[in-house]
Amino acid sequence: MSLKSERRGIHVDQSELLCKKGCGYYGNPAWQGFCSKCWREEYHKARQKQIQEDWELAERLQREEEEAYASSQGTQGAQSLTFSKFEEKKTNEKSRKVTTVKKFFGASSRAGTKKEVQEAKAPSPSIHRQASIETDRVSKEFIEFLKTYHKPGQEIYKQCKIFLDAMHHKRELSIEEQSECAQDFYQNVAEKLQIRWKVSPEKLEKAMDQIEKYIMTRLYKYVFCPETTEDEKKDLAVQKRIRALHWVTPQMLCVPVNEDIPEVSDMVVKAITDIIEMDSKRVPHDKLACITKCSNHIFNAIKITRNEPASADDFLQTLIYIVLKGNPPRLQSNIQYITRFCNPSRLMSGEDGYYFTNLCCAVAFIEKLDAQSLNLSNEDFDRYMSGQTSPKKQEPESWSPDVCIGVKQMYKNLDLLSQLNERQEIIVSEAKKLERDLIDWTDGIAKEVQDIVEKYPLEIKPKNPPLAAIDSENVENDRLPPPLQPQVYAG
Amino acid sequence: MSGQRVDAKVVMLGKEYVGKTSLVERYVHNRFLVGPYQNTIGAAFVAKVMSVAGRTVTLGIWDTAGSERYEAMSRIYYRGAKAAIVCYDLTDSSSFQQENLWVHELQNFEEHCRIYLCGTKSDLLDEDRRKRGVDFHDVQDYADEIKAELFETSSKTGQNVDELFQKVAEDYVHFTAFQVMTEEKGVDLSQKSGTYFYSCCHH
Repeated sequence: MSLKSERRGIHVDQSELLCKKGCGYYGNPAWQGFCSKCWREEYHKARQKQIQEDWELAERLQREEEEAYASSQGTQGAQSLTFSKFEEKKTNEKSRKVTTVKKFFGASSRAGTKKEVQEAKAPSPSIHRQASIETDRVSKEFIEFLKTYHKPGQEIYKQCKIFLDAMHHKRELSIEEQSECAQDFYQNVAEKLQIRWKVSPEKLEKAMDQIEKYIMTRLYKYVFCPETTEDEKKDLAVQKRIRALHWVTPQMLCVPVNEDIPEVSDMVVKAITDIIEMDSKRVPHDKLACITKCSNHIFNAIKITRNEPASADDFLQTLIYIVLKGNPPRLQSNIQYITRFCNPSRLMSGEDGYYFTNLCCAVAFIEKLDAQSLNLSNEDFDRYMSGQTSPKKQEPESWSPDVCIGVKQMYKNLDLLSQLNERQEIIVSEAKKLERDLIDWTDGIAKEVQDIVEKYPLEIKPKNPPLAAIDSENVENDRLPPPLQPQVYAG
Repeated sequence: MSGQRVDAKVVMLGKEYVGKTSLVERYVHNRFLVGPYQNTIGAAFVAKVMSVAGRTVTLGIWDTAGSERYEAMSRIYYRGAKAAIVCYDLTDSSSFQQENLWVHELQNFEEHCRIYLCGTKSDLLDEDRRKRGVDFHDVQDYADEIKAELFETSSKTGQNVDELFQKVAEDYVHFTAFQVMTEEKGVDLSQKSGTYFYSCCHH
């Protein structure tokens, strides 16, 4: 398959030229053969209906979710919780909040359709400004990057500008058509760089990444999980499905990872973080990088556990487990977005493409998962799914203190406490001894003093007669001449 | 990130335990180890740079999950593949029966994908002829019928392993060169989007 065979264009047939409603104006295949006026009417009708349906579905999903949650909470409460369950509940609760908020947002944005469409065309200045900081940064980087390409760089920039302008006018089109435009654009630019400017394959790859980054940062808010698609509905369905499968254990999936090894559980946590982080990125390429990072952590976890190279089976099993455990937000939206707007050469064959494909497989597996795929009987599977019972509850004897980190930690803490208790007792007895010693010592001193006092009683002798004044015996004093007096001489 | 450029996607298909991973390990790292491996990060994806007739080609080799529970997903894997190496165990006739299914799907959904049949564990036959569960001539006939290449390999001894991948690379170069030559005639405007999209998760 060479690139050329896939070039597409809009084919206009003679019969398609006039509006299908027969109003006499020209129609357009982009508007399903209607003229712009008729199309708007048709589209609006269909949209209103869709909105109503979506609304109802969202409400129903929420209700079901709440019920399922309440019942699962009830059964979970009855049994002693393991730490991992506790963790799971916590994440469930967290993501619940997110979806609820999102749902309110989604519902309200759907309710105000007309206004919303207009607003989308002219976003409020504050939102625009906020988003534009990152966009500006990316633009600057892009221009800097293109400078290294000299003349082709200018051409690329011009092409991107034209493309973005064109996309601006195509926002009313379906997401598939927009995606097609983007793919055509990637292909045209790549071809031009290769054939006209003779750019080397390595440089081409780099340039394509930068182009993707530049245009997708700008398009993201219009084309990620657009309202015209069922992406959000699918997101909620997957999320609900994963939540309903909370009871699936690593053993059922034959996951070749032993989480009791601290290093491995560390890797698992990192992998989960990466896969969740994917939602926060705007550029398809960056999203793929998150998946690749997650996959590398999985390979490390398998390597530490098994000490041999992982096969595709091992990897896929672990990835499914990670997705089940992490329940990444907006999984379907992200997959669709990457599929629609990622540079196809990266997605089709490279390493990122491989991991992305595995993620798609993991999601497909989770959606289709049944009793057989977990080696369970249909009855057991149904019972677990309905939340009547949980696999762990059935076999309490398989519980050992090593099962869960929390319990292990508790045992450790108990040990520590008893040690502390012992030490405290020792300290108390030592203190008592010290007290006794001190009392003995004071008693001893008092006794010694008493002995000495008794041995050498204090005798008070009468006082000697007072001595006469030193100079009292100098009787001759009277006879001495008076001391000299200062005299004043006149003159 | 290891964003190595890859020219052709080569996908490994085959039942569990037929030795897909070992085959790739043998080819890429030139080793076959029994027992625990040391200091390797197993990668189910490998990019291998090769040189064919003065041209450099990078094969991206995709190992796929062979377990039965993932059978329904195999189509997602081989989408857009330029070559598929369909593996079976020479000593296990049941592993060959599965072949037909994959070949059929490949022919229906990936017309640009060339098919290579690969019988693995041929060293076991060297030890004992009677262990052979799949007849060579039957497979050769089948291969001719579906226009596929046939290789019998051993990841333990390395027999035919390099030859297999070299052939894959050569065919890829030959095939694409041929395609470029015949494609200059123009562009079909009426052609709608189809195989091009990576739309594995629409359903």
